[in-house]
Amino acid sequence: MELFDNILLGFSVAFTLDNLLYCALGVTIGMFIGVIPGVGHLAAISMLLPLTFYVPPTTALVMLAGIYYGAQYGGSTASILLNLPGTPASAVVCLDGYPMAQNGRGGVALLMTTLASFVGSFITVFVLAAFAPPLAAFAVSFNSADYFSMMLLGLVAAAILVQGSPAKGAAAVIIGLILGMVGTDVNTGVQRYTFGFSFLYDGINIVAIAMGIFGIAEVIANVGKIKGAQNDHKITLRSLIPTAQDLKQSIMPMLRGTGIGTGIGILPGTGTSIASFLAYAIEKRVSRDPKKFGKGAIEGITAPESANNAAAQSAFIPTLTLGIPGDAVMALMLGALLIHGIAPGPNVITDNPGLFWGLVVSFLIGNVLLLILNIPLVGVWVRLLKIPYPLLYPSIILFIAIGVYSINYSHLDIVLVAFFGLVGCLLLVLGFEPAPLLLGYILGPMIEENFRRTLLISRGDMMVFLERPVSATFLALCLFLLIWSIHSSSKERRIRKRIESSR
Amino acid sequence: MRTKPATLLTATMITAATLTLSLLPPPAQAQEFRGPVRIVVPFAPGGTSDILARHIAPRLSDEIGQPVIVENKAGAGGNIGADFVAKAAPNGHTLLLSDLTALLAAPSVLSGISYDIEKDLEPVTMVSYSPYVLGVAQRHSFPSFDELVEYSRENPGGLSVATSGVGANNHITSERLSHGLDLDWNIIAYRGGSDATRAVVSGETDMLLNGTTASLPFALSGQMTPLAVTGEERLPELPDTPTFRELGLPGEMDGTYQAILITAGSPPEIIDRLHRALVEILDEEEMRGRIAEQGGIATPSSSREEVSEWMKAQKSELASFIEESQLAER
Repeated sequence: MELFDNILLGFSVAFTLDNLLYCALGVTIGMFIGVIPGVGHLAAISMLLPLTFYVPPTTALVMLAGIYYGAQYGGSTASILLNLPGTPASAVVCLDGYPMAQNGRGGVALLMTTLASFVGSFITVFVLAAFAPPLAAFAVSFNSADYFSMMLLGLVAAAILVQGSPAKGAAAVIIGLILGMVGTDVNTGVQRYTFGFSFLYDGINIVAIAMGIFGIAEVIANVGKIKGAQNDHKITLRSLIPTAQDLKQSIMPMLRGTGIGTGIGILPGTGTSIASFLAYAIEKRVSRDPKKFGKGAIEGITAPESANNAAAQSAFIPTLTLGIPGDAVMALMLGALLIHGIAPGPNVITDNPGLFWGLVVSFLIGNVLLLILNIPLVGVWVRLLKIPYPLLYPSIILFIAIGVYSINYSHLDIVLVAFFGLVGCLLLVLGFEPAPLLLGYILGPMIEENFRRTLLISRGDMMVFLERPVSATFLALCLFLLIWSIHSSSKERRIRKRIESSR
Repeated sequence: MRTKPATLLTATMITAATLTLSLLPPPAQAQEFRGPVRIVVPFAPGGTSDILARHIAPRLSDEIGQPVIVENKAGAGGNIGADFVAKAAPNGHTLLLSDLTALLAAPSVLSGISYDIEKDLEPVTMVSYSPYVLGVAQRHSFPSFDELVEYSRENPGGLSVATSGVGANNHITSERLSHGLDLDWNIIAYRGGSDATRAVVSGETDMLLNGTTASLPFALSGQMTPLAVTGEERLPELPDTPTFRELGLPGEMDGTYQAILITAGSPPEIIDRLHRALVEILDEEEMRGRIAEQGGIATPSSSREEVSEWMKAQKSELASFIEESQLAER
């Protein structure tokens, strides 16, 4: 059994003292970085990359990877407790996580997201071990037409995220799309809306937007609202333990989230944020009672959490099997290999089996460690809410500022966060929702880039979108989703009318 | 502020002393540097420039007796970091290690570049040269570059070339190649080199010019067919792939050049000291080996003027090509 031999090899590599130590170090750093709003894994990994000059490549990757998937665990903590996301990928967890915390179920939410993270990661590691090469081959068969249609589906799904007025939801998505246009246009090199500021050439920093419209806006919104400690719910051990009902309701969402996350993660250039947004949208769509979403539905936190962890794990598939990194973090991982003279490419696994399988087994160890590490911490995090507002919120703002600064070492990014904080407040007052805006911002540039690229390659022939089976399937799903949405909303209206007329 | 004669006298004496010291051999040299030296890399960690900088930094630190720190300031195709060094205090403590061609083309391709690479930065030395490999998607079976050209002539606009982005070195080189051969290639910009590689591996685009480190694994595993390489000689890993020069193509079909620059106006003795130290480091067997690991050839410059002249010639050549081909307006 080849797989068995490989796993054994992996265990022999991962269970050396050095590798275990660096794995534990990586996941611990990652988890804390995920918890702190604004401080992201990209900055942390960039800072620690030089360290890898002094350790063997496998050990280096074990640690850097640990930071990456470890951060996916911590990201939802602040979303749930404070309504501000630790990472952009966990922004969507705010929607139901924060209401849960307000209902005194913060502890349960934290435990369930930890569990969901573990399920998402663990299953995906097995998928990675068993099917990495064929999945990578599938991922690389996606072309720009397929990417466009998939992202369009994501945009249609954004409509499902909207909780209040559909018109305002649509407006929020469009504002997000417009913000996404800022920067250098990939296809032509033309600068759009940069106003001559060089820090805008690469677009608005996503962390600045996410932290501004979610984080800072939330902090400002709370000024005056909360006098003392904001949560009077007693924290007892009981209040931390999920009910059998919570677990039962979460099984399917976790599995669906894992599936979506794995699928998104293997596609280079997509990222964990899209995975968690899509998982949330799909959960709300398939739910028998979509109205409970936004009010503390447990499916609304477990599905996206499983999804972003699964995506973080499956992003290693194209990176390690093909040498094609999906995002900046994965490019850093390959950089760690390059430093040691290992050229990343399609032969990395066959040339360095110890590296690949050792890393895979370290994922298993790392995730078990994260589970063990996170459960006792839930009690600690919940107590964060006991910290009085005048201490807690200024420190959050400080952390956001440090985090945003650490990405590009640019003080202008801090100004940008402050600006988006004000924008976020305005949106909040006017009743626009930040989540669809963020999704519009993430998807907009990808939709535009791939749409124009497809047409450049096809020399303007629109039919390519329908000729390719993958693209055509996604477009059909878009159409189906649109019709369904219109149908269900008109049905709802009819029912409402009937109720009104029967009164 | 008015300078008192006494201060002026002291200053003159100090300058004279320093100048005398700089003529003396090694020991006194550590005094030239007051505090840590920074090497700014205008790209993300893990890229070629970054790895080179991190290999060079500890050796440079040994030579000058001061800590040498590598700092990444990524963005706008290297121009944010270059701008930073261009505007740094000219005290000789801020260096830039970057892929040069992108910076030289920037003023002709991008708007709003607010520094002048010739006036605001001074070269210290070239670091390395990496040739390009022209890789063609697996689904094509052109046995040689000539067949590719022939097919391109028969099917104008039928083939597409992936690039790492508008104004990137491989974009300009691809444009030069298609202009030089008078071919109608569809040149498509991607978000960086790995995105462009993905596009060619998936068959979305037909070919790509890319550095050896990024190309060789794909060429050797058969996921891309190497049809030609740039540079003077064939690559040892691809003995059957001819160079563009062998194919009778112009010498400007080049690769990427890494160089170290410094803020203009820095004390000349410090720049000279850095130049000597770096040239020595780049000549070492170990460093040559490390650069080769990154797919490059170490190219320490014999003089700083040599780099200045090369940069000047390259810049004007790029500018006139870009203007001629109206690359920037497209």
